[in-house]
Amino acid sequence: MSWRQLVHTAACALAVSLGATTTASADVTVRLLHVEQDRQISGFWTELARRYEAAHAGVKVEVQYLENESYKKKLTTLLQSPDRPNIIYSWAGGVLRDQVKAGVIEDLTPVMESWKARFAPAAIEAYTIKDRIYGVPMHTAQVGFFYNKDLFAKAGVDASSIKTWDDLLAAVKTFQAAGITPIIAGGADKWPLHFYWSHLAIRIGGRQAFEAAMGGQGKGFADTTFVRAGDLFAQLADLKPFQPGFLGVTYPQSSGQFGDGKGAMILMLNGLLGSMRVNSADKVGIPDDRLGWFPFPTVPAGKGDPSDTLGGLNGWLVTKGPPKEAADFLKFFSEAENQRQAAERGLYIPVVTGTQEALKHPILRQLAENVGRSKYHQIYYDQMLGPSVGAVVNDISADLAVGRMKPTEAAEAVQQAWELAR
Amino acid sequence: MTSTIVRYDTPVTMAPLMRYAILFIVAGGVLIPLLATALGGFKSLGELRVNPFGLPSEWDWTNYWNILASARYWQLMGNSLIVAVLTVILTVSAAAMAAFVFVHVRLFGATFLLNYLLLGLMFPAATAILPLFIKIRDLGLLDTYWGVVLPQVAFGLAMSILLFRNYFRQMPKDLFEAALIDGCGYFQFFWHIILPLSRPILATVSVIVFVHSWNNYLLPLVVLNRDALYPWPLGIMVYQGEFSTDWNLVLAFITLTILPAIIMFFAAQKHIVAGLMAGAAKG
Amino acid sequence: MTTSAAGGVTRTIFQAPSWWRLSSRGPSTVAVVLLFLPPALFLFTLFVALPMGEAAWYSFYNWNGYGMPTEFVGWRNFELAFANRAFRIALTNNLLIIAVSLAIQLPLALGMAILLADRVRGTATFRLIFFLPYILAEVAAGLIWRFVYDGEYGLLAKLWEAFGATPPYVLADPDVAIYAIMVVVVWKYFGFHMMLYIAGLQQIDPSLYEAAHLDGASGWQILRRITVPLLGSTIRLSVFFAILGSFQLFDLIMPLTRGGPSDSTQTMVTYLYSYGVTRMRIGFGSAVGVVLFLICVVFAFGYKRVLMRND
Repeated sequence: MSWRQLVHTAACALAVSLGATTTASADVTVRLLHVEQDRQISGFWTELARRYEAAHAGVKVEVQYLENESYKKKLTTLLQSPDRPNIIYSWAGGVLRDQVKAGVIEDLTPVMESWKARFAPAAIEAYTIKDRIYGVPMHTAQVGFFYNKDLFAKAGVDASSIKTWDDLLAAVKTFQAAGITPIIAGGADKWPLHFYWSHLAIRIGGRQAFEAAMGGQGKGFADTTFVRAGDLFAQLADLKPFQPGFLGVTYPQSSGQFGDGKGAMILMLNGLLGSMRVNSADKVGIPDDRLGWFPFPTVPAGKGDPSDTLGGLNGWLVTKGPPKEAADFLKFFSEAENQRQAAERGLYIPVVTGTQEALKHPILRQLAENVGRSKYHQIYYDQMLGPSVGAVVNDISADLAVGRMKPTEAAEAVQQAWELAR
Repeated sequence: MTSTIVRYDTPVTMAPLMRYAILFIVAGGVLIPLLATALGGFKSLGELRVNPFGLPSEWDWTNYWNILASARYWQLMGNSLIVAVLTVILTVSAAAMAAFVFVHVRLFGATFLLNYLLLGLMFPAATAILPLFIKIRDLGLLDTYWGVVLPQVAFGLAMSILLFRNYFRQMPKDLFEAALIDGCGYFQFFWHIILPLSRPILATVSVIVFVHSWNNYLLPLVVLNRDALYPWPLGIMVYQGEFSTDWNLVLAFITLTILPAIIMFFAAQKHIVAGLMAGAAKG
Repeated sequence: MTTSAAGGVTRTIFQAPSWWRLSSRGPSTVAVVLLFLPPALFLFTLFVALPMGEAAWYSFYNWNGYGMPTEFVGWRNFELAFANRAFRIALTNNLLIIAVSLAIQLPLALGMAILLADRVRGTATFRLIFFLPYILAEVAAGLIWRFVYDGEYGLLAKLWEAFGATPPYVLADPDVAIYAIMVVVVWKYFGFHMMLYIAGLQQIDPSLYEAAHLDGASGWQILRRITVPLLGSTIRLSVFFAILGSFQLFDLIMPLTRGGPSDSTQTMVTYLYSYGVTRMRIGFGSAVGVVLFLICVVFAFGYKRVLMRND
């Protein structure tokens, strides 16, 4: 290293350390904590943070990342510590309900009065508890089957022909005959498996069944809808459609495996696009033109509407006692102009009205349409039902996937957990 | 002593060749995972898949270099070091002093107190984590080094006191009596006689406490929020979450974070053997 | 206590107990007790005993961790725990790990200690090598072994393929995963016990061995009649630590399997963590912790009374 370079480095180091002290004495710091593994997405957020800082002197926005599992572990203690972040990532649902009940989340109703109209009504509803708004929705997702066009062609399966559950089972058998792993799943994390059970329940019983169960009517989650969901899932599981060792594979690993072409399809939300990119061996995964998508199949005599969707509504919460810049930053964040860029770059499906037209990625466009059209968009069971019941749903799904539990037992276990949690 | 002479004053008479063969096999089993880890950091991801055992075809130093050159690595190490050193100093002091009292002062209720402290060995930190968190928070120690150090010291006291006590008990009784004749008070006795003679056990306890602190994950996870204060086990979980399937990067990171503990052990090992010798021999 | 302070006289008639004489030090004794004992007791009480007590108290409540517990449920958490399949698996696994420790880990440690007890060339290096896994962070050990066991790029996979078979996904198989974990447990902790035994072996007078050999004793006889009995108290202590440590196993399991697949590798502590703490059911988790604690206490005090009476 030449003298000049050395001096330059030293000067930079000095500047950085001085810079660090000056930012420490900035007027306001807003701390945001997220779990997004995809650097493109988190990089986008950091970009927005920088832009906000540029427009607002004296405000610093710190964007912090914490790995998903550690985040969930830490959340309870974190929210009760005086040093908590001001903005946290949220999946809404039961966890949000608990957090609001515990009084650790800021009521944003007054602040959002002027700008809540920019969101789709369903999005706001997901973050509304007892008529008060507690969060800022950011993106929606839908769960469906992503598939590898090349592998489908190789086995001679036509994706558009998979409309019913039996079609899916038949396709699985075709793949196995062709020596191709039909389905990839991240069993170690369990939640990827619960999509099967819950989506089946949505197809079988529709909105009424779920709301009845949550309301404690009849046998609740031990009702026939959920038992039948277990039966049908068991049918699939008996065929052993998953990749070998799937129970030990985490979701990120599984998305990498799918991207590496190790299996024909994966039931997942659109976050897979980014995850696959990050985790596959070639850092690309399946290129867009070789990637297809089809919705979850229907079941015979199902009361659910085929247009019903299962997915998420992720967003941001503000923890109690924040600087007012926190909510202000979120307002800036969710401006149509800004969110439109997320859509353009294909990062996720924003819920701010008017941004979805900017979606270029064909699959994302389709999903946005699906969710827009859907009359019943169910938030993932493991979030909706709260942390302890949600965990039970995940557990039984994993057990059903390996045939270690009977469908009736599974449904009853969920109902028991639900009753305990009331 | 050449290896061809068979000795009779050892617990086992075995042809030296046989003995070394067994040792090498076991050592291999112990070392292979460690070596594979260290070597893995030099390989590319693709090569790691096809050649996990052997030497890398190309020694790719960038993984290791990038980590070593990153400020984050040194920050993590520094934090771990500060916490560990503080923990060791406090634990050793408190435990040695307490053990001294148990051994040399016939205290009413000493057995009771000792059993009380022994309970500390039976309680998993994971259960107490929430009340511990509340306590730390109410004391205003969240997100500070002390919030991690003080509970670690507390949890380490049980084993440390046991080890010190065993060692002190074996010190010659005449020592004490001689000191008394010379008009030595308790404090001087402790400071001038006991401590200097306790180097082995001091080293032992220090290394054990250091290693426990160095490797501690759960307590820092819950107490610390700012990543500027993270010790390396938190750093690695964050790192591994971010790069979950880049095994070669993860392996390089692990290797680099283990090295300091290994170095510390090598440096203190002479004392350890001597210390465990005295501390364990009488139970 | 056979030497009197006066020196020269070796026959003891009566010797005042040391505490008697020490108490004549009066203020010095009190001062030392007041100064030397409280720091440890204070820290311990504040950060260990109190949280333990509080955790026991929580076990009677249904609490999600926010604020303070308000919903008293009596023994329900305990009933739920015992009725839960995963809890029973966890208990069984703990006992299994203890069995493996006693049957494999400790004998291995003893064997290595015997081979390394004397100071011939190279033993220092071997001792260090065997001790290395112990100083490794459990988090790191878990990650390393996950890499070893990985069905795709793991060392195990390569080994299997070398024999021409498709490698098993050991950590994903509910029937096999627990055994995989036990291998890691043995690997990690045997070095610690080995060091304890080495220390103990060095206390044994070598002439005993010499005499035994002269009498024509075989290797096994020496082991059974001399080595093991003389190592008695060390072995008892090592068993004590091994069993208590087995009950507390947690940090090693999380990075390897997180208690899965299908709860097959749960131990008491991973169970209380996954089912209690992370599901915001702190009372339930505490109840399991209390059960674990009671088991440990019963074991520890029973063990000390029966086996370590003379140590």
